[in-house]
Amino acid sequence: MWWLVSRQIDALETMPVSPYARPTRWVLWLWAVAVLVFLYLPIAFLVLFSFNEPRTPGLPIVNLTLHWYEVAAGNSLLLEAVKNSIIVAVAVAFLATLIGTMAAFPLVRGGIRHADSVRILATMPIMLPGILLGIAMLIFFRRVLDLELSLLTVIAGHLVFTTPFVVLIVAARLQGFDQRLEWAAADLGASPRQALRHVILPLISPAIAAGALISVTLSIDEFIITFFTVGPQVTLPLYIYTQIKFGVTPEVNAVATVLLLATVALLFGSGLVLRAGRRLLRQGGR
Amino acid sequence: MVNDSGDRHGRIGSEDIGMDQMARNSNLSRRRFLQASAAMGGVVAFGGLAAACTTGGGGGSTKGTFNWMTWSDHYYDEQLAAIAKDQEIKTSITELADNSEGYTKVKEVGGQLDMISGDALWVPKYFEDGLIEAWDINELEVAKQLYSIARDFSIWKKPEGYLGYPFGWSPVQLYYNPKYVTTTPDSWEVLLDPKYKGHIVVENQPVEIVAYMAKFAGAKDPYNMTDEELAQAKDLLTLLKPNLLKLTQQNTETITSLINEEAWIATGNLGAEERVKEGGGAEIMGFTPKEGTVGWMDAEMLVKGGKNNSLLKPFLEVAEQAEHIAENFIRYGRPLFNESAYKLLVDKGHKDRADRFLYNKPETVNTMTLKGPGSSTQGAIDAFNEVFGA
Amino acid sequence: MSLPSGVGLKGVPLVQPGPAAPSRGLGRLAPAVPGAIALFLLFLAPMAFMLVFSFWRTDVDFNLVPDWNINNYTKFFTVPTYLRTFLKTMLMAAAVTAAGLAAALPFCYFLVRYVSRRRQRLVLLAVIVPFWTSYLLRVYAWQAILGERGALNQALQAIGILDEPSRLFVYNDIGVFIVLVYVYFPFAALALYAALEKFDFSQLHAAQDLGARPDQAFRHILVPQIRSGIITACIFMFIPILGEFLTPTLVGGVQGSLIANLVVNFFRGAQIAQGAAFAIIIAVFVTALLVVFRKYLRIEDVVARE
Repeated sequence: MWWLVSRQIDALETMPVSPYARPTRWVLWLWAVAVLVFLYLPIAFLVLFSFNEPRTPGLPIVNLTLHWYEVAAGNSLLLEAVKNSIIVAVAVAFLATLIGTMAAFPLVRGGIRHADSVRILATMPIMLPGILLGIAMLIFFRRVLDLELSLLTVIAGHLVFTTPFVVLIVAARLQGFDQRLEWAAADLGASPRQALRHVILPLISPAIAAGALISVTLSIDEFIITFFTVGPQVTLPLYIYTQIKFGVTPEVNAVATVLLLATVALLFGSGLVLRAGRRLLRQGGR
Repeated sequence: MVNDSGDRHGRIGSEDIGMDQMARNSNLSRRRFLQASAAMGGVVAFGGLAAACTTGGGGGSTKGTFNWMTWSDHYYDEQLAAIAKDQEIKTSITELADNSEGYTKVKEVGGQLDMISGDALWVPKYFEDGLIEAWDINELEVAKQLYSIARDFSIWKKPEGYLGYPFGWSPVQLYYNPKYVTTTPDSWEVLLDPKYKGHIVVENQPVEIVAYMAKFAGAKDPYNMTDEELAQAKDLLTLLKPNLLKLTQQNTETITSLINEEAWIATGNLGAEERVKEGGGAEIMGFTPKEGTVGWMDAEMLVKGGKNNSLLKPFLEVAEQAEHIAENFIRYGRPLFNESAYKLLVDKGHKDRADRFLYNKPETVNTMTLKGPGSSTQGAIDAFNEVFGA
Repeated sequence: MSLPSGVGLKGVPLVQPGPAAPSRGLGRLAPAVPGAIALFLLFLAPMAFMLVFSFWRTDVDFNLVPDWNINNYTKFFTVPTYLRTFLKTMLMAAAVTAAGLAAALPFCYFLVRYVSRRRQRLVLLAVIVPFWTSYLLRVYAWQAILGERGALNQALQAIGILDEPSRLFVYNDIGVFIVLVYVYFPFAALALYAALEKFDFSQLHAAQDLGARPDQAFRHILVPQIRSGIITACIFMFIPILGEFLTPTLVGGVQGSLIANLVVNFFRGAQIAQGAAFAIIIAVFVTALLVVFRKYLRIEDVVARE
């Protein structure tokens, strides 16, 4: 974790600071490390269990083996489930972020008379247990809309409870937004569209990114609503949660471990690409 | 000047032009990257969706895709691959968790499924509600491999035919660890014995748990109880609650608790003792309570209006063959209704294991109370909630 | 004197209005249309059906019979279990929200204040990525950690704090509390991060220059400005916890049931009318709560206030 505290050129550090600042900083650092350990502790066990020989994942560790990785690789239904889960999660993140961000603007700036009530209405989907939403949508899709169930209906189902998160988080950020920046941009000749693109969106981008991350997280492990809105397809959480009669095997731990590594690799990879791109741009001049 | 990168404090003010220019460059490239990845994400998602939505008979050589909602232990991968090769039928599995959830789903989804698996008394319920069709299973060659008793269950017999193709069965058994449970138990009462407080695990199925208590109280039909029987069961439930360690969501948890010995007694299907041993746990014993037990037997049902249900018979013709059923037993370990498969298992040297699982005694199903929907479902859930709520 | 965003006297702006929004008309509301359609089609319409069903009855054959009655609703208030469980759920949700905030705030503060921009994103992703693995598998891991023969007990016994394994940590309310804080931490962290990220830390130094103690600066300068983030974090935790049933099932043992467990039991037994009624009661209550407190939810435009 050394890089968490590597010295930054911090102009503020040269200003007179309170005597509490330095020890506070180290206490906070310790806390951050403790939090990360807390978050990754179950992950460590999850990965460990994927190497354990018995059919039932858990302690004690009987024998270390790669057997379950082989089994997982040959389980075509499991792999199909993973593929579908990723497709759904990406689509949901994209749509929820888009729809939610767009909806946040009129909510905050539209001068709606009862904006508070609208915001509460938008929050309602997350108050209800998923099983209610799932069954309600199943009945509505089938009896009223006469839709055939498929991954599309699953995505629709996931949108219901992810979009409110995006709306809330973007609206909160938008609400404290200093409008003088927009006025300054207009002063300098920017059209509303340009101001949106170059001033507003970049400054609320942390909220948009946070909303997207929350959407992926919520969607990727959702099984109750998925069960009721899915057609003859399977997703990973569905596969896992329906193993009631005989329980999960470490196959799923193996798949989870591989997915985790793949995600980490993907993120690191994209980070490297970004850095390389930036370096090129800087070298290129403009 | 707007400057939001490089400066971690988000300060609104101007820095010197050099840093600012660089900041704007990296800002643009980052934004372009984010835009690109967002666009890519959208494309991937919709491309994948389009691919996913064209499920069904794509490609020339397949006769079609067969949609089957079932539990994960009713098939295995190589079996489905063999069917795809022999009969040119691709199988699309929808996972099933609970009978009632599957029932709710099929009620709405109907023809999108071709075959669904169901337990015991749920099968006639599906038929009454017009969700499935009855047919003559003896049309299939492979039906001859079944135990004759399996082709003749009265609850599955209708004038129009048989309601489903029989697959497997299991009674609910009680398991205990003899290291801690020193007097040999033989009754449901052991669940209520205060000696084992906090060391008992039961599966989280409210209606079933009430049924266990009803069985102990001597109710004739734990799924269609009278009010007094229900009240008695509820009282016993109140005694049960402090004895339980937890209500398990999946079989995995039951086995794990028995392995690490935080639980000494558990309810479960056949095969638990094997899984505990394999996981490094002690030798546990199973028994059927003397008051009688509940159990399930499942069948594959033909869904009415299923788009591909003409594929059902050729599908079953291959899927239910003895080699596949024997292999299924070897993998999952509970009794199945295919008699020829038993002979195969004996040949392969699995006779002991098969006998332990009562494979060759399918008449056992007649001693169990079969699971299913009943008139006291609502009462049972109310009672359960009142006892296990705060 | 400048006026708050967008609005001028009698529609004539005295200062330039926010250029991103057309100054009047329905065009301003256009971006909300997809969201409104989604809300209607996916939520309001289906829930209208559920509302109707909640006044019907499920017969013994699991069919919904339009036998209009309010028994499904009165049961919630006449059988004491449900009110007690609901109250307990609210307390648990409040406790988890408080703990989650207390854990996330220092974490995010450290992240925004002392970590470079690029690495902030990395750490945030590091926080979120574990939650992209199956929740069930992670909770099984928690069972292995917190259980009687689990890692925590073994560690505590090895150090000598415990003489024999304790059942304190799991299969009770404590286990539910710990795992709920674990599950909802990232939501709090993301909400607080989005708010803290725009805070200008030099203000704290300025305050100290003017003689404020660090905690005074914190309380009077930082907290008001990130109030929107704190409120969002609270909503992200408190409200979904009221619908949580999986965690109590897995780590709550027999005493840990929350109200959603009881509601789910109805749905799993095909008692749709009853389940719908209870879920609607919960939603109405939470909505009432939000309406009553909407004054506090309304976030002032702190920066633009002149």
